[in-house]
Amino acid sequence: MAELQVMALSHIYSKGTPFEQTALRNVTLTIPQGQLVGIAGKTGSGKSSLIQHLNALLQPSSGTVLLDGKDIYADKKARREARFRVGLVFQYPEYQLFEETVYKDIAFGPGNMGLSQEEIDERVREAAGFAGVEEALFEKSPLELSGGQKRRIAIAGVIAMRPEVLILDEPTAGLDPGACSRVLRNISRYRRETGSTVVIVSHSMDDLAAVADRLLILSDGTVVMDGTPAEIFSDPERLEGLGLEVPKATEIAMALRRRGIHLEGAVFTHAQLKAAILKAKEDAKC
Amino acid sequence: MKQETIITFDNVHYTYPEETAETLCGITMQVKKGSFVAVLGINGSGKSSLAKHMNAILTPSEGKVTVYGMDTADEELTLEIRRNVGMVFQNPDNQIVANVVEDDVAFAPENLGVPTEEIRRRVNDALAQVGMEEFQKHAPHLLSGGQKQRVAIAGVLAMQPDIIVLDEPTAMLDPQGRRDVLATVKRLCREKGMTVILITHHMEECVEADSLIILDAGRIVETGSPKEVFSQVERMKMLGLSSPEPTCLLHELNDEGFSFPTDVLDAETCAELIAKELNHG
Repeated sequence: MAELQVMALSHIYSKGTPFEQTALRNVTLTIPQGQLVGIAGKTGSGKSSLIQHLNALLQPSSGTVLLDGKDIYADKKARREARFRVGLVFQYPEYQLFEETVYKDIAFGPGNMGLSQEEIDERVREAAGFAGVEEALFEKSPLELSGGQKRRIAIAGVIAMRPEVLILDEPTAGLDPGACSRVLRNISRYRRETGSTVVIVSHSMDDLAAVADRLLILSDGTVVMDGTPAEIFSDPERLEGLGLEVPKATEIAMALRRRGIHLEGAVFTHAQLKAAILKAKEDAKC
Repeated sequence: MKQETIITFDNVHYTYPEETAETLCGITMQVKKGSFVAVLGINGSGKSSLAKHMNAILTPSEGKVTVYGMDTADEELTLEIRRNVGMVFQNPDNQIVANVVEDDVAFAPENLGVPTEEIRRRVNDALAQVGMEEFQKHAPHLLSGGQKQRVAIAGVLAMQPDIIVLDEPTAMLDPQGRRDVLATVKRLCREKGMTVILITHHMEECVEADSLIILDAGRIVETGSPKEVFSQVERMKMLGLSSPEPTCLLHELNDEGFSFPTDVLDAETCAELIAKELNHG
């Protein structure tokens, strides 16, 4: 079980200097076990600061984070445990590959967990398969590979630690459409097969609409919207006011509704839009 | 009106040192002055390598690239070529060099030995063109991603190039930043007559281009107007890309018995057509 509770969390960068900047203001929220949560918000809204508190990378200015009811900032041991249980894939993780071979890079995390050689090997192969890294690449230098391959290796490195909570910061930035859908499919699959909690930060509302159970919208260090995709995307004006956009399917649905077409239910994916239009056509016949 | 050709690729092959496989395999193309050309292709298809041939960061292993007739392989012409072709990259943080916005924009012309008065004028001009004049005295690291990227574009404009090549300039930006950068790029082309080459993964950013070039495994596999290229929905999928949402939607509705045009790229036209069909169908 892995439930995260963010308790009155605030973070102020460069406190007490002229550059003082408040990144998070008194954020409180609970992410239950197994939920897939999307976080959106414009640059500087506090998204990255928030997720870096979920595995104790950043020290809160006030407030704390509980993992299964235990304070992850209680002591060194608690912080270390949080790092192992909560896996964080940074934005552009391909810049963080540093080992001589792909295999060693994926094995780095589990290697630090005090596992046996056999267990590490098993985890590396499983994670590689999962992230779509072919075993033929294992002895290559990660630096020789393409951007998309490096991204998958970085994701495999975190998956190999079998985190109970998987957090990804902009996992699809800079990827082509095919690679984007593969990454999203694999993330959904990881959640389904392991029952892990997953948090994805993204600028792409289309990506979030496709996979998330729940969306958190951040603005100026606070959570200003919290709901299901259907709830969040029912207020496109508010999203635009926050510098965000709606999924492309929602944009077309809005344009249709403005023209007097009745579309049933929430529309935020391509499949929903197509179904709603076909339904409207059926209804028009009657 | 016949447009002047300013960049030519003649059967260009390129292999990175210490690699055996070719990254570019026989690229032949021309870019017309004042046009907006978008380059698409999956990761590893050769887009960035193609872009780097346009200002002699890379030179062909075989074949020839010319800019205003100047051969990029001629090292004596490298500086002159780079003065004509400005490059903007994906990560704005890697392109900012100074602690104050105006110093950053002045960096390149200073290195070229442009007189101080002229530099001041160019910096003001460049910042106005990207809509960042009020940030002249700001520290770049405190700007948003979109603002930093516009400062990077201003830095390129201060060189007064005729051609600007942008390699995924919006990949790291939020929706607002992306809109601002794209609006800037379009204005430079449409109002200032600059030639723009935009490399991107976002199909929506290409919709207003004059022409699209699709790369796959180092070869040009499609060229044409956005309507011509994106109307081939299945072909785009096969290439690992996708057509804009309205085009895909109408294409799929046609499979369900509708008969919509196949080259609609924007949401409003798409909704207009569907509404008409449902109201009178």
